Amino acid sequence: MPETVLKAEGLTKIYKSAENNLTVLDNVSFEAVQGTSLTIIGPSGSGKTTLLGLCAGLDVPTSGIISLMGFKLNAMDEDDRAYIRNQFVGFVFQNFQLLPTLTALENVMVPLELRGEKNVAPKAKDLLARVGLSERFSHYPTQLSGGEQQRVALARAFITSPRILFADEPTGNLDEENATQITDLLFGMNREEKTTLILVTHNLELAQKTERILQMKGGKLVSERILNLA
Amino acid sequence: MIEYIIKIKREVRSIFKDRWVWLMAWRDGRHNFSRLFLFVASLITGIAAVVAIGSLNYALQGELDNNAKELLGADLVINSSKPFDKGFIKKLDTAKRELAKDADMPSMVMFLNTKQSRLIKLTALEGAFPFYGKIVTQPANAYELMKTGRYALLDESLARQYEVSSNDTIRLGTKNFIVAGVVEKFPGGGELTATLAPAVYISFSALDSTGLVQFGSRINYSLFVKTTSEKQTENAINLIKPLVEDLGYSYETIEGRKKGLGEGFQSVYRFFSLLAFIALILGCIGVASSVHIYAREKREEVAVLRCVGSSGWQAFNIYFIQIFVLGVVGSIIGALLGVGIQQLIPYAFGDYLPLELQLGISWRAFGEGIFIGALVSVLFSILPLVAVRFVPPLAVLRSDFGSTKVVSKTKWTAIVLIGLFPLLAAAYQTSSFISGGLFTIGLALALGSLALVAMGLLYLVRRYFPKNGSFIFRHALSNLFRPNNQTQVLLVTIGLGAFIISTLNIIQSSLLNQVEFRGNENQSNTILFDIQSSQKDDVVKLISKHNLPVNQVVPIVTCRLSGINGFTVEKLQDSDSVKIPNWALTREYRVTYRDSLHSSEELIEGEMHLYKAGAQDSVGVTISEGMHETLKVKVGDTLMFDIQGVPIKTFISGIRKVEWPNDPPNFIFVFPNGVLENAPQIWVATTRVDNPSEAIQFQQELVFGFPNVSLIDLKLILSTVDELFSKIGLVVRFLALFSIVTGLVVLAGAVMNSKFARIKENVLLRTLGARTGQIMKITLIEYSYVGIFSAITGLVLSLGGGWLLTKFFFEVQFSVNLVELAIITGSVIFLTVLIGWWNSREVISTPPLQVLRKEG
Repeated sequence: MPETVLKAEGLTKIYKSAENNLTVLDNVSFEAVQGTSLTIIGPSGSGKTTLLGLCAGLDVPTSGIISLMGFKLNAMDEDDRAYIRNQFVGFVFQNFQLLPTLTALENVMVPLELRGEKNVAPKAKDLLARVGLSERFSHYPTQLSGGEQQRVALARAFITSPRILFADEPTGNLDEENATQITDLLFGMNREEKTTLILVTHNLELAQKTERILQMKGGKLVSERILNLA
Repeated sequence: MIEYIIKIKREVRSIFKDRWVWLMAWRDGRHNFSRLFLFVASLITGIAAVVAIGSLNYALQGELDNNAKELLGADLVINSSKPFDKGFIKKLDTAKRELAKDADMPSMVMFLNTKQSRLIKLTALEGAFPFYGKIVTQPANAYELMKTGRYALLDESLARQYEVSSNDTIRLGTKNFIVAGVVEKFPGGGELTATLAPAVYISFSALDSTGLVQFGSRINYSLFVKTTSEKQTENAINLIKPLVEDLGYSYETIEGRKKGLGEGFQSVYRFFSLLAFIALILGCIGVASSVHIYAREKREEVAVLRCVGSSGWQAFNIYFIQIFVLGVVGSIIGALLGVGIQQLIPYAFGDYLPLELQLGISWRAFGEGIFIGALVSVLFSILPLVAVRFVPPLAVLRSDFGSTKVVSKTKWTAIVLIGLFPLLAAAYQTSSFISGGLFTIGLALALGSLALVAMGLLYLVRRYFPKNGSFIFRHALSNLFRPNNQTQVLLVTIGLGAFIISTLNIIQSSLLNQVEFRGNENQSNTILFDIQSSQKDDVVKLISKHNLPVNQVVPIVTCRLSGINGFTVEKLQDSDSVKIPNWALTREYRVTYRDSLHSSEELIEGEMHLYKAGAQDSVGVTISEGMHETLKVKVGDTLMFDIQGVPIKTFISGIRKVEWPNDPPNFIFVFPNGVLENAPQIWVATTRVDNPSEAIQFQQELVFGFPNVSLIDLKLILSTVDELFSKIGLVVRFLALFSIVTGLVVLAGAVMNSKFARIKENVLLRTLGARTGQIMKITLIEYSYVGIFSAITGLVLSLGGGWLLTKFFFEVQFSVNLVELAIITGSVIFLTVLIGWWNSREVISTPPLQVLRKEG
């Protein structure tokens, strides 16, 4: 039976302010098993980015349980969650989020170096070559185009062979041609690594490449559609 | 039931074992090197100032320890205001100790080549003095020649000033001497008073032949004793102690001189080290401010690192390592700079030091500088860096997501240590917790006041700046209030330097104003003293002959106190209940007699009692304000005077307020007419000489006709005092300059920190149609504002502080040299604009497309 890598139970997130409380997520529950892909889709302000953040351990819910690879994230402190992310999670962001003072190669190496692994450059170079950047090892992010930066981000996401990959609008800042290339790379590498993919996007066409679509509205999970069975 | 894992075992590596943080510190730092270096550049000047002063202090203390004997030239020196009692010398000589003696007195010298004359300190030497150290002369045999009796030696500076060379002739009293050479080094020399009255040396045997030793001449006799051991010195002191007190002598040992000089140097050192410390504190503010902005700008990167698995401490350690390493590097550079500066100080002040300083590196001061620099960079960067630990990883998704407020032990420890640092460091510098505490409070008040003035100024400018003013001026002003601006920090740091220099200027101006003779055109600028009674009328005739005004002819009688309110001086010296300083009880007083107040006096209590001769009247004297507090007396109290063996009982009839520098001579005690006319006395006359050639002619006739009469040219005194103030002021200004330089470094840092934001702004302006010239003007005006506001901030506080100091501490009239203050203000503005413009050149000239490409 496929392993459940991500489980959200009754997730609620309330932001407290002086005037009133804002409920951004309201009792959201779902699961994801190893090797599958799902998209969280919804209009702006629907809570999809908040849900992504909670699932990745970037934030803690006001109530509910979030478990990743069997670890109860909301019961852990920040550093423990960071450790879990390093062990099991990869990220791809809309704004690429590369470290500007590191070269492409160095950006890719960071997650493995954080584990204390040595001699990680060959693996990083392989990944960069795989995403078509074998000529760009020593380039800094400011010397790369948007598409190239996102490739570097992809390589960084996959260097730890993550069990789960979170992608927040990975093609949001790219033109059509680059978006297509990144999409192909993302899903291709995902299939090869058998990573569980959690995608957040507005792009329906991109969403339809995944197996499930979770529709968010007003902080609630309003529908779930199964598109493709692996 | 689902079992969740809620605890994990993860390896936590310390900063020393975590290779990754060091790697990341290097990778990140290599791009930001120039920005990071600016953080600690503000430290460099502070460390340089601290090390320079510290090095000088250790060098001086070392020289004092190694060459103590040279300070005195003997093991024991006994001083007297009259020739030594023969019995006393015999007693001292019984143990066959080696003796030498000298006599020194103020006198006039005339240089026969130029016919110019000057007040000097005439020193007559006899015996093998100095027993330790050497008198270095040019030529080398000049001292031996002088001992023959026909020759004289001159202070090097005196010979230079009056262009006197060997074999020229000078006149001392009634005798001519041939100049044998100049003295380059004299044991224990380098006193500040030597600038006012430089020395001329003759043989003791020639002193009488000058005719200068007369009644009333103020001669100080010294007996130099050489012993073979400390025990022998102690025995000699025990032998002479009872005699010394009876005969009114005093004595000094090497330890005493060393202690006195050491205390003097320590006081000066503490003052200057506190000035240097101010520069260091400003450096700390610069470091903290810059690191704060740096840490904020790293927020997004830290969030990414947290996302991919870095712990909070790892993120903190990356930037901590950068700051610490650069702090150590900056401290080393600062310490080296300080050592370099210390080598220059003897060239500026060598004349005033009684020792010859050996140039070299004080490793102790060097090490202390590095330690302080490293400590400061750690302490003042921890607080802003602590925030890095708590950057939430969610910030990668939401850049506006703030950290939750976390109680951090590190943060509170840093706050406590930062609060304690100025106090502990100042206490260390001054070797006193009280002094350190007072200084810290004073500094906090100064910085707080500057901050308040800066805040007020910015508020007023923002509020009342004309809304319809030119766009360039308005935009330049609004730049001061951009997010992440350091305007207030800049105003305080640059303003503090301007404050110190301006305050020093005000005090110097006020003090000099007191000694300068301005205003009343007839006010005296020349004083003739040591006039014998038989010479008085002839001296007055001489003055009149040269058509000079005779402003004052004043009698002076020397006397001592023998009792106060029925208690003898000896009883008062032993008293525990009445604490009158010993110097006030035992000193020689010079009093005068008249029935009216002088122009510099004001009667504030009592009256000037007119003595009715032959009517069994009491003698009422007036006392100067201040002295009545020292002697603990009031109107009506009795004083017993010993007027050269004749006791006179007096009562205090009044208290006078005396403007001492005004129209001298001024007196502590004034007797009424009819009491002291027959007492042995000398006279002082004052006049005003404006024409230099007239002055030379007058002095020539005076020196030839009345060789025992000395003349003080107050213009010369004033220029010497001015020169002295300038030299001292130079060092203070130099150290205050460190503060300004630190402020300018913080400014450069602020410009660099905001560079990209400024570039984006300028690109937007250009897109909207602004020309390069307009952008340049905006930049220049913006920094002019910073300079003007900083200077005004410092100036406002210095005017207030200067007024308080002159009124309550120095008790002189507040005086401001507007021209010099304008120069200071202008210099601050100019430097600020220059630094700001220099660092903004790239901002002004970056083409828009380059920015847009970076953005894309």
